[in-house]
Amino acid sequence: MIPLVSVSERERISHVLRRLSLGAHPTVVAGLPDVDAALARALDLSPPPATVPLGTPPTAVDAQRPIEIVGTIGWWLDQMRTPDRMVEERLVWFWHDHFATSIAKVRVPYLMAQQHATIRAHATGSFSDLLHAIAKDPAMLLYLDGVTNAVGSINENFGRECLELFTLGIGGGYTQQDVVEASRAFSGWAIHIPGRPSARLGDLGVAPWQSTMIRRRHDQGTKQLLGSAGAFDLDGAIDVILSRPATARFIAGKLHRELVGLDADDATAQRLGRAFRRDWSIMGLVEAIVDDPAFTSDAAVRARVRTPVEKLVGILQAAGNPPLDLTSVTRPGVGGDPARRSAAGVASALRSIGFIPFVPPNVGGFAGGAGLLGPHQLVHTIDLLQALSTPPPVPDDPADLLARFGLFDVSRATRDVVGRERDPGRRFALVALSPEFAVT
Amino acid sequence: MSGRDLSRRAFLHGLGLGGAVIATGAYGVSITGPPAGASPTRHAGDLGDPRRGRTLVVLELAGGNDGLNTVVPMNDGTYHDLRPTLGVADAIDVDGEIGLHPELARLAQRYADDQVAIVEGLGYPEPDLSHFGSIAIWWSARGGAGRTGWLGAYLDGTVGFDDPLAAIGIGPSPSPALTGRSSFATTIADGSGLEPRTPTWLGSTETLLDQWADTAGPVRDASTLTEQVSRAVGLTVAARTDLARSLTGASRYDDEAQATGPRAYQDRTATESLALAAELTRSPNPPAVIYISGVGDYDTHQGQAERHPALLADVDAGIDGFFSALGERGRDAVIMTASEFGRRPGENGSGTDHGTANEHFLIGPNVRGGRYGERPSLSALDRGGNLVHTADFRSLYATVLEGWLDVDAEDLLGGDFERFEALR
Repeated sequence: MIPLVSVSERERISHVLRRLSLGAHPTVVAGLPDVDAALARALDLSPPPATVPLGTPPTAVDAQRPIEIVGTIGWWLDQMRTPDRMVEERLVWFWHDHFATSIAKVRVPYLMAQQHATIRAHATGSFSDLLHAIAKDPAMLLYLDGVTNAVGSINENFGRECLELFTLGIGGGYTQQDVVEASRAFSGWAIHIPGRPSARLGDLGVAPWQSTMIRRRHDQGTKQLLGSAGAFDLDGAIDVILSRPATARFIAGKLHRELVGLDADDATAQRLGRAFRRDWSIMGLVEAIVDDPAFTSDAAVRARVRTPVEKLVGILQAAGNPPLDLTSVTRPGVGGDPARRSAAGVASALRSIGFIPFVPPNVGGFAGGAGLLGPHQLVHTIDLLQALSTPPPVPDDPADLLARFGLFDVSRATRDVVGRERDPGRRFALVALSPEFAVT
Repeated sequence: MSGRDLSRRAFLHGLGLGGAVIATGAYGVSITGPPAGASPTRHAGDLGDPRRGRTLVVLELAGGNDGLNTVVPMNDGTYHDLRPTLGVADAIDVDGEIGLHPELARLAQRYADDQVAIVEGLGYPEPDLSHFGSIAIWWSARGGAGRTGWLGAYLDGTVGFDDPLAAIGIGPSPSPALTGRSSFATTIADGSGLEPRTPTWLGSTETLLDQWADTAGPVRDASTLTEQVSRAVGLTVAARTDLARSLTGASRYDDEAQATGPRAYQDRTATESLALAAELTRSPNPPAVIYISGVGDYDTHQGQAERHPALLADVDAGIDGFFSALGERGRDAVIMTASEFGRRPGENGSGTDHGTANEHFLIGPNVRGGRYGERPSLSALDRGGNLVHTADFRSLYATVLEGWLDVDAEDLLGGDFERFEALR
């Protein structure tokens, strides 16, 4: 694909930030001299990491309503639009999508926030540590039925998805028997849930909402997993899975697609996978991907469909980052309260297009590509403008307005339509709707 | 479509959403715009015009519906041995041999009225136990990823880009089953259709949408992703007005309730989506195809005793509501179920794991009621303890493509599959 006009340096700088974080950060782009500076800025992990506000552990399953997850969603959206540790935000999103877990089944917001903290702790660290931690994560144990997987009644849900989606990938060389053997190794895990029989785990020193393996529920027999034999437990089985080259290749290929927007060719996938397996350093993999000229090539620019969450971040940044109080939707209705109305509008728009953080449609993760280009999804971009409860400040010069959205190379049609509109609010909306803003 | 002038047809023609866009579907499986030569090129009209006035409604039960507890082999001792805790003991006897789950009482009545075909043992060779692998096979009707959807191919060969409302998806994102190479289907999530909800400071959206279409401009050759988006924007704005005429507002939308109500993060129900399907079917210009997805989690590995009956109750209410809302017009509609696989006959303690062959339904006044195909034996399971299919699932597709949509199924499915004489 050869673009009609070559990509400008400004657009390429914006591309680097859009891909390595979740927005264009217009105020940052304005101060960056070139692509190398943009890369250095996006990859800078020297600012201190954010701490997920977990709140007090609930005293029972129904002490919290699922809707209360909006507090964590709002906090997360604030991190996404903050220009610190940019690449961490991209990776946190990537791992949430990869290890997709939904509040719709887990039900307890505290558990989702706790999983989010686990993902955040490892997002830029070691994939091996992340995988070992996620496999025992209480929200994951509930989401993929790990808590009902016990010796004598093996539940294959986590075992299959772990091989197919989290590690080896479809076609990664495992059989139905490997699914069964992995599931046996994963058996026996339980969560201390206050107010439930499992609260007895407290007597064993397991804190509320933490997980542990119970030996008598674990299948202690020998397993034949991916050609290795042993009495593997969860950690042992994961080490076997990590030892297969397909795992590193699959993760490297998927992160390449996330960052570059294009599939890695076979040689690149092999090279990235080999290096990744050496130490499982996630930042090492990121750096190997962005060092490849493909990352900043013309073909990579605007090769991805912008997700609704990225659009929301972009709209908020373009409007100068006004507050968005999503927690207001959990308060009893005040019909005329503009903050509440705008938060409800955003929440319902994200819901109707199936794209709310912590609510992936299924274990396969969120839709992407043409799965985000349904007519209703395009139209509901307008709904996301409800995030702004008052009209945003809009510069007079259309080029300045486009720059606030991180857009520098736009078609004549877009430039003309935006330039002709006199009303500032509508001018802002037309940029948010433009084909250029629909991609990234 | 009536009322569309030639220039608009010419404008829309050839402006598809195929090409290089990676279509990661609801299941994350890519049905990409295929590389040239991967499947036959079709042009609008090759297969004739869609038979308007008739609607096929596909109800996708995602996750893998448990066919054994839906259409129950009541008198088979092996069934009760395999399902000591989850086995259905009080199925509604329909013919002395099989029974429908007690939550399907209205469907059972419709079966007695000769309006339900139960098609048994549907599957395909070398079954894929992955949700994503298997649903891609069901969506494409061919080998899985890298192809067009089976109904997308139907659109390619009938309306092409000329009618973005010939097929309507109801669900959170476009179904890859509707993805064609040179056609465009409209997907909506709810009764608000393609009507945006705007902040008060923005004022009216009416002219805004026309300006939006202007930013898209006339796209003739979509070689970049941005151009493909532009094409989709043009088709979206074109579809919006006609769709608004079809939606009477019977299923209006309450932002606050949707965002904060008790079901805030739950899937839409089959009942809600079938009500919307009925609204579209009884409109003056009904779509030829409605594809419903995202209506519940049928992946009952755990808690099946509570979860599965609730799901079936929703389906039962939805189907009944659909035909009640349509009244006489129900003659013009057939509902067909789809699901990536059935579930394992042996239970796992509190649920059932992924299976293979499955039971499906065709429902409507023009359906010739009864049982079709052959029930797989519970005494001759495969090595993984799963049912061995007795008929190819594409026979179900061939049945509706030829018997209801009046197109050549062999051409669309790339093979000659048995057709059930289940439609009048």
